[in-house]
Amino acid sequence: MSNRVAVVGVGQTKYAAKRQDVSMAGLVREAAKRALDDAGMTWSDIDAVVIGKAPDMFEGVMMPELYLADALGAVGKPMLRVHTAGSVGGSTGVMATHLVSSGAHKRVLVVCYEKQSESNATWALSIRLPFTGGSVTGAGGYFAPVIRAYMRRSGAPDDIGIKVSVKDRLNALNNPYAHLKIPDISEEMVRESPMLWDPIRYLETCPSSDGACAVVLTDEDTAKGTPNPPAWVHGTAVRSEPTMGAGRDVVNPHAGRDCAKDVYAQAGVTDPRREIDCAEIYVPFSWYEPMWMENLGFAPEGEGWKMVDDGSTSMKGDLPINPSGGVLSSNPIGASGMCRFAEAALQVRGMAGDHQVDGAKLALGHAYGGGAQFFAMWMVGSEKPNA
Amino acid sequence: MTEEVLVADHTIEYTYTRSTGPMIGAFLTGLRDGKIVGCRGADGRVIVPAVDYDPVTSEDLSETVEVADEGVVTTWSWNDRPLLGQPLDHPFAWALVKLDGADTSLLAAVDVDDPSKISTGSRVKARWAEERVGSITDIAAFEVV
Repeated sequence: MSNRVAVVGVGQTKYAAKRQDVSMAGLVREAAKRALDDAGMTWSDIDAVVIGKAPDMFEGVMMPELYLADALGAVGKPMLRVHTAGSVGGSTGVMATHLVSSGAHKRVLVVCYEKQSESNATWALSIRLPFTGGSVTGAGGYFAPVIRAYMRRSGAPDDIGIKVSVKDRLNALNNPYAHLKIPDISEEMVRESPMLWDPIRYLETCPSSDGACAVVLTDEDTAKGTPNPPAWVHGTAVRSEPTMGAGRDVVNPHAGRDCAKDVYAQAGVTDPRREIDCAEIYVPFSWYEPMWMENLGFAPEGEGWKMVDDGSTSMKGDLPINPSGGVLSSNPIGASGMCRFAEAALQVRGMAGDHQVDGAKLALGHAYGGGAQFFAMWMVGSEKPNA
Repeated sequence: MTEEVLVADHTIEYTYTRSTGPMIGAFLTGLRDGKIVGCRGADGRVIVPAVDYDPVTSEDLSETVEVADEGVVTTWSWNDRPLLGQPLDHPFAWALVKLDGADTSLLAAVDVDDPSKISTGSRVKARWAEERVGSITDIAAFEVV
């Protein structure tokens, strides 16, 4: 990365099942304005806008970036749209970082959103196209057998997913923007919730949320004049692999391992478990937390579940995972990756409020998408990276 | 060797929902009440239909302004063979109509039976649908006054 990049503004909407009080434009503006306020900027300070969301069929508006250009103050300015399924919130952040690190722009507004109340994502994901063998299962049905394979391979106890669900829902109680708030959440409650796609129970899945998340990225000079402490981008990476590639390891995808390796190398991290203070990772189904612990190199293969079991990933553990409550508590799909990136930035800025990890200096933001074949990550820190 | 082209029917359907937001919502609610609602932009112009944010400054807009249901054709085009789903099932004019009190024009169907009966500068008035539901189709068409 050539020029240093700072995250100087973060804005989120309240995540909710239905935000019928606002249009899509109103929703993205709510997050964007909060990010601009945090950055001490107005629409006219922005040089370029990057927007990301999951497939257009989720709301039935084709190329919504065109309709949203003037809502986001992008008239007469470069505007880019990023498409990488559920990982889009992450890859949009990476794309925007490049616009600043390359010197192309100094102040970039990045916005991701989904308004799931305007349609039904499971329907949109389940359409069987001619000449294909569609499974008509939605995301949960696709990932359930992968989770089963992980459980068999690792020998993890059956209640690991339940523990993740409880931990993330407890964290969500400390995040004012979180969608699901279940104050009396317990392992018992999760265990007794209906089995949707064995082994995924109802309370082990993410909700369907409306919401938007935005960040403002700037170059080093601009960051000097902003009101709140910046988060510095120490590394970004994206990787992908074919959904149906022969020999593909769907439990521990190669692309995810490579993506993590790349971002750690850029950030100078050699022992991620010890050096990273907290991480916001994309866990739409509870079991993905232990699986990603291994994929991200926080635990040896087959041992990610132990980090859940011994509480290492809780707020009191040595590597808090998803202090915000994560995707399990709020899932505006196209924005969910951006939420991870933004929450990682809030942690190292010391601005995460009641879900702040004390003294967090280095945090990972992670997103995955599609059939777990798209990965996007960034590492952010409170200190400037080496030039 | 002749190439066989594979063909398959594929129908997908889903009912989407739209949340309109405060200003476009006010415009649509106004139509249900037989009124046309615009809003005042940052530069003082009256924009019809009302919009949530200023097209120039991007700031939020909130001042609604009711305009007349009558105005002037600023430009038009003849539609000789209407398609299914268009406002009228017989030939009509598509026109941009600047309503009295507005500074922008609204795209609308003008119900005239011959292109010789409309021109730029024609005065037109809304013909409201018999049953109004809060949709753009509450204006059935415009008629030359």
